[in-house]
Amino acid sequence: MFQRILVEDWQRTLTMISFAIFGIVFLLMLVRVLRLPREQVRHLENLPLQNDHDEKSR
Amino acid sequence: MTTTATKTLIEFDDHTVRQFMIASIFWAIVAMLVGVLVATQLAWFQLNFNLPWLTFGRLRPLHTNAAIFAFVGNMMFAGIYYSTQRLVKARTASDVLSKIHFWGWQAIIVAAAITLPLGFSRGKEYAELIWPINIAVAVIWVVFAINFFWTLAKRNEPSLYVAIWFYIATIITVAMLYIVNHLSIPTSFTHSYPVFGGVQDALVQWWYGHNAVAFFLTTPILGIMYYFLPKAADRPVYSYRLSIVHFWSLVFVYIWAGPHHLLNTSLPVWLQSLGMLFSLMLWAPSWGGMLNGLLTLRGAWHKLRTDPVLKFFAAGVTFYGMATFEGPLMAIRAVNALSHYSDWTIGHVHSGTLGWNGFMAAGMFYWLAPRLWDRRLHSTSLANMHFWLGLVGILLYVASMWVSGVTQGLMLSATKEAGTVLAYPNFIDAVTSTKALMHIRALGGVMYLAGFFMLAWNIWKTARGARAVNGTIEVFVEQPTHVAGPMGLRGGFINPPVIYSLLIILFTTGWAALTGFASGMCLTALIATFLGMSAHIEFSGATWGQWYERLLENSLPFSVLTAVAVFIGGIVQIVPTVIINKAESIEGRRQIPYTPLELAGRDIYIREGCYNCHSQQIRTLVGDVLRYGDYSKMGESIYDHPFQWGSKRTGPDLAREGGKYPNVWHFHHMRDPRQISVGSTMPNYPWLFTQPTESDLLPHKLAVQRRLGVPYPEMTKEEIARDVATQEGVIAADLKTAGADVEPDREIVALIAYMQKLGKADKITPPEPAKTTAAQ
Repeated sequence: MFQRILVEDWQRTLTMISFAIFGIVFLLMLVRVLRLPREQVRHLENLPLQNDHDEKSR
Repeated sequence: MTTTATKTLIEFDDHTVRQFMIASIFWAIVAMLVGVLVATQLAWFQLNFNLPWLTFGRLRPLHTNAAIFAFVGNMMFAGIYYSTQRLVKARTASDVLSKIHFWGWQAIIVAAAITLPLGFSRGKEYAELIWPINIAVAVIWVVFAINFFWTLAKRNEPSLYVAIWFYIATIITVAMLYIVNHLSIPTSFTHSYPVFGGVQDALVQWWYGHNAVAFFLTTPILGIMYYFLPKAADRPVYSYRLSIVHFWSLVFVYIWAGPHHLLNTSLPVWLQSLGMLFSLMLWAPSWGGMLNGLLTLRGAWHKLRTDPVLKFFAAGVTFYGMATFEGPLMAIRAVNALSHYSDWTIGHVHSGTLGWNGFMAAGMFYWLAPRLWDRRLHSTSLANMHFWLGLVGILLYVASMWVSGVTQGLMLSATKEAGTVLAYPNFIDAVTSTKALMHIRALGGVMYLAGFFMLAWNIWKTARGARAVNGTIEVFVEQPTHVAGPMGLRGGFINPPVIYSLLIILFTTGWAALTGFASGMCLTALIATFLGMSAHIEFSGATWGQWYERLLENSLPFSVLTAVAVFIGGIVQIVPTVIINKAESIEGRRQIPYTPLELAGRDIYIREGCYNCHSQQIRTLVGDVLRYGDYSKMGESIYDHPFQWGSKRTGPDLAREGGKYPNVWHFHHMRDPRQISVGSTMPNYPWLFTQPTESDLLPHKLAVQRRLGVPYPEMTKEEIARDVATQEGVIAADLKTAGADVEPDREIVALIAYMQKLGKADKITPPEPAKTTAAQ
């Protein structure tokens, strides 16, 4: 009753390709993030707090 | 290179921040007032007042657009302008552009608030605004983008904090989504037809609709969270590394998930699988972000007892986690079969908008007001009361919508006698069973609105008589300012990490997509690339980390890479569907184009916003098929510009409404739905019986439809007028025979003509395609 046609083979592979692309990007990013220098992480994470000491209100 | 440091005092432009903040509070109250009105209309139809500009179908788009673009939009701009200046230690690049941005955005909102109740609509959710306003939105967005990137270019802090990344992703992606989904051909100054139709339009619309939530309601607010939450808690973000993973995963995954709005429909199955898969994957980055936010409060939880700002932030981030848990759950096809088209979806989006956006906005405003006016908050107790009132309001709203949605889903899909007969054949049973819950929902909305009135009062009292101040900072301006040196576009792309990444993606794609020898070659090349990359690192001592660190300090290549990440998802989904051969993709049924009168009737249907309550899509589900007939095929809406599949069924599906009832049934139903269907909450439409059908523009509208590929024959103006008059005469005569007298040229006649055409299609035997696969 609910048979569906129209799905072509090459379109089905797009789902798998999409997943593979994400996996690659994710892994490359993860490796990069884990290798980020500790000093740089400390500098970056303190950026929002820096202004508290310098900022003056007029 | 020698550097010369000069100590410079920078004064931030906080005037623009104040303007956007006040505008956000004002529009929040407007959006919520309209929301409360439309919620109560679902309980008491009398509140439609028999006035066209106050009916649910026209006000609901006003509510959604005001909440998204006016309330959250202005809030987002306030947060971005405030935090960006401080994170990059530079004043906004151009005060003139800031002014154009602020006043242009408010003009757009006012234009929307006027045109939507008047019925000027494109008929697509959150994309209803007419084309001249669309162009204004694009222009103002570009002004904002120029101002933002110009500020980044003249910054005094080399590194780009993660909040800035979220802002960049927002600016780029919203521009892409908005432009693609609003591509239209005008037929007049106030009307146009979208260039996409049927399933293509459905896909583009929900690619946009879903990512409007992702990149307008989520990513900028995440940027705001990453800036304001550490400020309020006075401690750095829990894990900066996690925030990087959060950003890239979210940006890369979100863009693919749009098709989950079209599960079990006539959308190709591979796209439905894609939408579901990527929606489930969203669980990880979303919860990573939520945990990062909540764990930033480690050691500061005791402050929640007294600090309303932290209360709002903690609850807002928790609601983010809850909503992003619920979303993927609803994207599972089996769950979606129950939840879709029901109030469950309404509850879900409100837990996100009220809980996440609304509470983050309130927390940010309470934190900003004392700093922008250099005075303590007028009343902390009132802010605390706002929090509890709002929280109870959200819980009442969401809980009632969950119960209502599950009830609707279960009742409308329930069968008996071995699944051959509907347990509740009358749709109205589901409406009357959930009416009490509409009252609770309205009560929850009123409580939440009351909280925002308190916020407005509190901030007005804080600012009244106080001196508006701009923050200042002393910085050492050095030349060159970029420690790692500018990269430029060339430096951003022509380097080993990017080239190896592209090769890996290319060969993986070839391996999966090609067959035989070509696939084997791609696999070999993929392995060779990995080996080559390993050898390169080993022997050259390459420190590719330097490239990434430089990227973090160079906004242009960073922005382009972000754009690439979101483009890939959009292209993979949309291009195959757009280039699909229509003749082979109609699944045995091809829509019969509307006659000129039926097209005029369809424009009335869109003007009145009928799609807000009625779908035109019978899903591949037993309950749908038993209730409405054979499931919808792709070919049955291919000439619909715009598609009208809908997203909510407050009333029944209309995909096969044509011929189900006589003309006179529609005549009486539109005048007073309760005459026909006792307990209906549908408004009366008395003006359709007095207003003449707008037929002067039909020749132009038909010409545009022809340009869009609808197979209309060439017709002269006179032929069109004759065709319209003939069909009007036939319907009016039929109505008269049934005892209903109306002038033939009234709008009700055109609307009846359209309703009677719904579901009419030619049965086609498709040509034998080269390759087909049986699915499901």
